[in-house]
Amino acid sequence: MQQHTNEINLEQRGAITLFNIRGDLTSFSEPFLSEAYQNANTQGVDKILLKIDKEAYINSGGIAALIQILAQGKRNNQHIGITGVSDHFKKIFGMVGITRFADIHETVENALEVMS
Amino acid sequence: MIKDLSKRTIVVSLLNELGYERVAMACSASFAQIIGLRPERIEDLKTIVSEAAINAMEHGNKGRPDARVTVSMDCQGDTLIVAVTDEGNGIKEHPPKPDIEKIIEDLESPVGFGLFLIKQLADKVEFNEISDGGHVVKIAIKMNS
Repeated sequence: MQQHTNEINLEQRGAITLFNIRGDLTSFSEPFLSEAYQNANTQGVDKILLKIDKEAYINSGGIAALIQILAQGKRNNQHIGITGVSDHFKKIFGMVGITRFADIHETVENALEVMS
Repeated sequence: MIKDLSKRTIVVSLLNELGYERVAMACSASFAQIIGLRPERIEDLKTIVSEAAINAMEHGNKGRPDARVTVSMDCQGDTLIVAVTDEGNGIKEHPPKPDIEKIIEDLESPVGFGLFLIKQLADKVEFNEISDGGHVVKIAIKMNS
């Protein structure tokens, strides 16, 4: 099986740091997400927008990795939003409680407007 | 290991390696499309099959590279039945529903989401030991649910 990797580009959009996450979200994503978060956090960010590929495969390991980012964000008083999520995973994120700690936005533009 | 196969049953035998659950997921989606499951429920089915196969690999087969996970799919009347079989002994005690508040506060580990999602998305879930060895999770999805 090909080793799973994520490419995560950080982009500053005004006061918001956009995490452009390429690839599937699984348990293998945890170190990539964690490294990207640490890189952003050392810059002193207040608002983070996680952009996920609409076609990304997301499993429970990826959900756990995302929740760890939400936990770190809460500890650091950061506002976190998520975008790029299919209707199915909006439902899944609601079921597991992610939507209690991060707002889901339809588009990056919509998120930037609401979070600014 | 798998008995009572009907003519329409689809069976997929997976390597016990994370990532291969996607083979069963794709296969279940194709089968569900053929038998006419609604698109929203096909997405639910994909998550169910993926999570059940991952649990079988990690917890049932305990990551053993020589073990297999078998996923069978069948349509019985108005119900799609998925059976995920591993070579383990089943789960002695199911993890409690994950509490995201406690996980966020670092009071609980972020585990148990797979089983939680299976139970939330399926119409019925059964866990059974197999008499000649192994464990099977049987999942039912009503065609009109």
